Amino acid sequence: MIIEAHDLRKTFVAKRGRGKTEEVEAVRGIDLSVDEGEIFACLGPNGAGKTTTVRMLATFTIPTSGTARVAGFDVVKEAAKVREKIGYVGQAGGVDDNAPGRESLVLAGRIAGLSRKDALARAEELFAAFSLSEIADRPVKTLSGGQKRRFSLAIGLVNRPPLVFLDEPTTGLDPQNRANLWDEIRALRDRGTSVLLTTHYLDEADALCDRLVIVDHGKIVAEGTPEKLKKELAGDVVTLRLDDLEGARKVLAAQPYIKETQVEGDSLRAYLDDGEHGLPTLLRALEAENLAIRSISLDRATLDDVFLKHTGRSLRDAA
Amino acid sequence: MLRHTLLFTGYELGVMRRNLAWPIIGIMQPVLYLLLFAPLLTSITPNGELSEALIVFTPAALVMIALFGSMFAGFGMINETRNGVLERLAVSQAWRPAIILGRVVKDMLMLVLQSLLVLGVAALMGLRISLAAMGLMLLLMAVTGLFAANLSYGLALAVRDENGMSQIVQFFLLPLMLLSGLMLPMSLAPDWMQTVAKFNPLYYAVEAGRAMFADDFSDGDIPIAFAIFLVLGVLTLTWSVRSLRKLAG
Repeated sequence: MIIEAHDLRKTFVAKRGRGKTEEVEAVRGIDLSVDEGEIFACLGPNGAGKTTTVRMLATFTIPTSGTARVAGFDVVKEAAKVREKIGYVGQAGGVDDNAPGRESLVLAGRIAGLSRKDALARAEELFAAFSLSEIADRPVKTLSGGQKRRFSLAIGLVNRPPLVFLDEPTTGLDPQNRANLWDEIRALRDRGTSVLLTTHYLDEADALCDRLVIVDHGKIVAEGTPEKLKKELAGDVVTLRLDDLEGARKVLAAQPYIKETQVEGDSLRAYLDDGEHGLPTLLRALEAENLAIRSISLDRATLDDVFLKHTGRSLRDAA
Repeated sequence: MLRHTLLFTGYELGVMRRNLAWPIIGIMQPVLYLLLFAPLLTSITPNGELSEALIVFTPAALVMIALFGSMFAGFGMINETRNGVLERLAVSQAWRPAIILGRVVKDMLMLVLQSLLVLGVAALMGLRISLAAMGLMLLLMAVTGLFAANLSYGLALAVRDENGMSQIVQFFLLPLMLLSGLMLPMSLAPDWMQTVAKFNPLYYAVEAGRAMFADDFSDGDIPIAFAIFLVLGVLTLTWSVRSLRKLAG
């Protein structure tokens, strides 16, 4: 286990003007265990407590209560030892805009204990790995979002950490850059690096991670591999729009092939294993009760459906 | 510890080297004061000569660079609280005080260099001081910078807002300047002002500077000034490192 967290909690005291304060429970008891060489995702809407969780594990924020061991060391009592073993790429990137990327990288390398010569060599290695060689000497402020993100990642890896934390690594990137970054994260795992990333993109968690937790309101609502989580539900989902949502829900819930039903806003979602064959039967059942359908669609169940099942909201609306 | 401090200093000096225009513009104000204000002081010097006025006013011009330069050093760090640089450094292997101290050492070096340039201008105008006075004055500027820059970084990390920070610095700047005898010696002030000035650390810097430039090295204000700035420097550094920890909430 490269990360073992037990009942992590964090309460912030937020200022509410005129000397008033309010306690905000950002993280309300999170248990995590991440294996070596695994890509592990924290999936959840904005404000779910993902960033706070990662910051506690990366020794930035001190937990209000609970314990965590990262790479074998306690994140509070042995923070200095943890810091030797991790790379941390925050949401904001953390690359100095005013200097060329090479300078930031060499400084980071030397802070991690490399000699000037070794730091320069390590920088070259990382520039080559992330296709940054040609822009390494340009001030970072002149670079594109995707290029900056690659510099952040390179800086995070300068000390060859066995574990990297990536907080929302692809937010704001275009699809092409996102796909490239996914490849780079997979390449990290292939070299034996463990990755803990946070994301509010379902497809990202689905495509990239080996295991994930779904976090909402500071708590874990589901945990497992993407396949396992989706299988718990059913393979397919039928989304219906109709006037009598509750009536239709009762009818469908009574059907043996329907595993689960969810009302979300003005639509009804019914989960079933073999959608192509189940759909005609489903339509007949609704027709027999004279329930008029305005629209209908059949999709593969996604992690959003898992989120919906556990929180009663769609991840798209939750932010 | 020292290694990390020097690494940060080296990095910051590199950043400054690419933007040399700023520190040079930074000394325009004291140079203009030397050129356009020091001559006015000839009316209060014994023989009415500019070289005498320069002995009184040059130390003030130097303290002015510390006030209007180093006190604003923290502005750059406000951005670093947002762009993730400080967050990344806080979880790196860096010795935390070095993150601040490395920048402060850069500001101290810059202040000494700017002081040298201003001293050069004053020399061209007719200032004559001993090498010992010059060396000691540059040392005094370094410790003044230690305090002013640390204070500025501490403020930046506590306030974390450019508008708020500029209001606070401006608010303190004018009384600090007037109550240090920067423009005119405090000995010309009424008693109550002289009493209040004794609580202004910069007053001792100006007074100590004037004593040195007059070759009066036995003046009690010289050790007091060094002691005050060293102690305040350590206190403000401690404060800014604590504020750095508070970034995490």
